[in-house]
Amino acid sequence: MGTLDSLLLGFSVALQPDVLWYAFLGCLVGTIVGVLPGIGPLSGISILLPATFGLDTTKSVVMLAGIYYGSQYGGSTTSILMRIPGEAASVMTCIDGYAMAQKGRAGAALCIAAVGSWVAGTFGVIMLTLIAPPLANFALRFGPPEYTALLVLGLVFLAYMSSTSLPRTLLMACVGLMLGTIGIDNMTGHFRYSFDIPELGDGIGIVPVAVGLFGLGEILSTPSANMIRTVIAPKLRQLLPSRQEWRQSVMPIARGSILGFLVGLTPGSAHIISSFLSYGVERRLSKHPEEFGKGAVAGVAGPESANNAASTGAFVPMLALGLPTGPITAVLIAALMIHGVPPGPTLVNEHPNVFWGFVASMYVGNLMLLALNLPLVSIFVNVLRIPYAYLYPLVIMFCIVGVYEVSHSIVDVWIMLIMGVVGYGLRKFGLDPAPLVLGLVIAPTFEMSLRQSLIMSNGNWTIFVQRPIAAVLLAVCAALLALAALSLVRARKDWRSKLAEAESGEGS
Amino acid sequence: MIIRTDHVAGSAFVALGIGVLALSGDLPVGTLSFPGAGMMPKLVAGLMIVFGLLLVGRAGESAPLAGLAWGDLPHAARVVAITAVAIALYQPLGFVITMALLLFTLTFGAERRPVLAAAAFSAGVVALTYLLFAVVLKTPLEPGVLGF
Repeated sequence: MGTLDSLLLGFSVALQPDVLWYAFLGCLVGTIVGVLPGIGPLSGISILLPATFGLDTTKSVVMLAGIYYGSQYGGSTTSILMRIPGEAASVMTCIDGYAMAQKGRAGAALCIAAVGSWVAGTFGVIMLTLIAPPLANFALRFGPPEYTALLVLGLVFLAYMSSTSLPRTLLMACVGLMLGTIGIDNMTGHFRYSFDIPELGDGIGIVPVAVGLFGLGEILSTPSANMIRTVIAPKLRQLLPSRQEWRQSVMPIARGSILGFLVGLTPGSAHIISSFLSYGVERRLSKHPEEFGKGAVAGVAGPESANNAASTGAFVPMLALGLPTGPITAVLIAALMIHGVPPGPTLVNEHPNVFWGFVASMYVGNLMLLALNLPLVSIFVNVLRIPYAYLYPLVIMFCIVGVYEVSHSIVDVWIMLIMGVVGYGLRKFGLDPAPLVLGLVIAPTFEMSLRQSLIMSNGNWTIFVQRPIAAVLLAVCAALLALAALSLVRARKDWRSKLAEAESGEGS
Repeated sequence: MIIRTDHVAGSAFVALGIGVLALSGDLPVGTLSFPGAGMMPKLVAGLMIVFGLLLVGRAGESAPLAGLAWGDLPHAARVVAITAVAIALYQPLGFVITMALLLFTLTFGAERRPVLAAAAFSAGVVALTYLLFAVVLKTPLEPGVLGF
C-alpha cells in the first residue's frame, strides 16, 4: 500500500465522529494545560492516561497526543499576555510576545503564534508521514546489538544536547536506569531491590515517576504566594496582524518549522531546545537584531513554530523505532503498550489503523487547534483567573487519582509522592529530571538487548563494532563525546552554555 | 572551603551508588557469555559513582550551598504532609471522603482561604470529578467506606 493510500486509510479512521471527538478533547485539554502555568503536557497526559483505558488504542493515543501538541499552542497565550511561560517551550515567546502585548499588539502576537504553530505542526505531520514508514522498514533490520548501540547513542545525544553539563545529564539517566532494574529480572527470575513489597516485583511504573517528578515536584517548587497574575484579554477584532507583521513572520515560521522538526528527531527536551535555537537563529539573521526583546515579530513566529514542529518530530522515533526521545513520548509509549500495541518497526505494518489513524488525526488536530486558539483566546484567558491556591489542590487530586487508577496500586501513589519530593530536591540542586524518566523507560529494553547481544556473541564485546549499523551508531557516540570533551578542554562557551545561560536568565 | 550544591548532590549520588552495590550482594553478575541479574545494576551503580565523583570534582562551577533559597520549603513540607495523609486514607475512606478532605485541608488549612469557599470548592470539585470518572468515563473510583 502506498503512502497516499495509507493516508486515506488514516483519514477514514480519523474522520470517524468518535475519533474526531477524542482528538478535539485532547486538543482542548492540551490548550488548557498549555495555558496554565505549573501544569505541563506531561502531567496532563499522565493524569488523563487512566481515563483512556476504556477507549480503543486509536482514540486513546489520538487524545493523549492532542494534549501534547495542543499544549504547545496554549503555552504561547500566557507567555504573550502575562510574560509567564505556560509551558517550558514557550519561555522565548515571553520576551518579544509580551513586548508586543505592551505595545498593544497582543492580538497580532497571538495570531502569529497560532498560525506559525499550525504551519509548523502541519509541516511536521507531512514529514512524519513521509519519514516514519521507511524508517520503520529500515529498523526491521535491527537486532539486539543495534538496539543497544541506538539506546547508547540516544543517551549520549541527550547528554550532548542538554543545556546542563554532560555528567549531570548522564548521572540522572543512570538514576533512571537504576530505577528501571527494580523488579523481577525477565531472564533469570531474580527479584531485584523489591524489599518484599509484591507490587515492586513488576518494577517501577513510568506514570508514578513522571507525575511525581513533573506534576507534584513542580507544585512543591511553586509557593502559591508567588503566583500573582494580571491578565490582558485581547478583543477578537484586534487579532489580525498588519501586512508588515505577516511579511516579517513568513521566513521565521518557515525556518522554525524546519529547524524544529530536525531538533524534534533527537533525544532530549527537543521542543524546549528548538525554541531557544530558533530565537538565536532569528536574532542572528535579522537585519534589526536590536529589535529583539522589544517586540520583534520574528522572536514570536520562529520559536512558536519551532516548538510545534519539534513536538511532531518527536513522534518519528517514537512510532518508527519505538524509542522515546523524552518523557512525554515515553508516557505515550506506555499508553500504547497498556493497550497491547507495541510501538516500533512493526506498528506500521501490523497496526496500520492505529498508525495512519494517528497520523491523519494530527492533520485534523492542528486545524482544530487553529480554530480553537484564535477565536476562543479570551475564554482560555479566563482559565488563568482561577487562583493558584485553588488550582494546585485540584492538580494534586488528579495526580493521586491518575496514578492510582493505572493499576489500582497505592504503592504507586506512594512512589509518586516520593518522586515529587525527589523532583523538588533535584530542582533545588539544578538537576534536570527529564533524563531520569528517559533512563527509566529505556532500562528494560537496554538491559535486555545488551544481555542478548552478549549471549549471541558468546561474551564477545566486539559484536557491537562488527555489525555495520551498530558500529556507525557507536562511532557517532564517540564523535559526540569527543566534541563534548573538546569544548570542556577549551573551556569555551558553545551554543549549549549560551542556552543554559539564557534559560537561567529567563527562569530568574 | 565553600561547600557548593554540586558537592552535596555529587556526594549524595556516590552514597546512593555505594548503597546500591551493598544491596546487590546476592545478585549474580554472571559471565560475559551469560550475564546475570546483577550485571546491569552493578554496572549502572558504578557509573553513578563515577558521575557523582565528576560532579564533586567540578563543583567549583556550581552555586554555594548557603546561597540556596529555601523560602518555599515550609509550603512544600505542608503540601507533602497533607498529601501523605490523603494517600494513607485513600483506600480505607475512598475517593469521595478522602479527596474532599484533601482539597479542604489544602485550600483552608494550607492556603488560608475562607472556610465556606474552601468547603464549597472541595464538595463541588469532588462531586464533578466523581460524575466525570464514574458516569461519563465509566472509570470507577475507589469506593471506600461509603460503598460508592
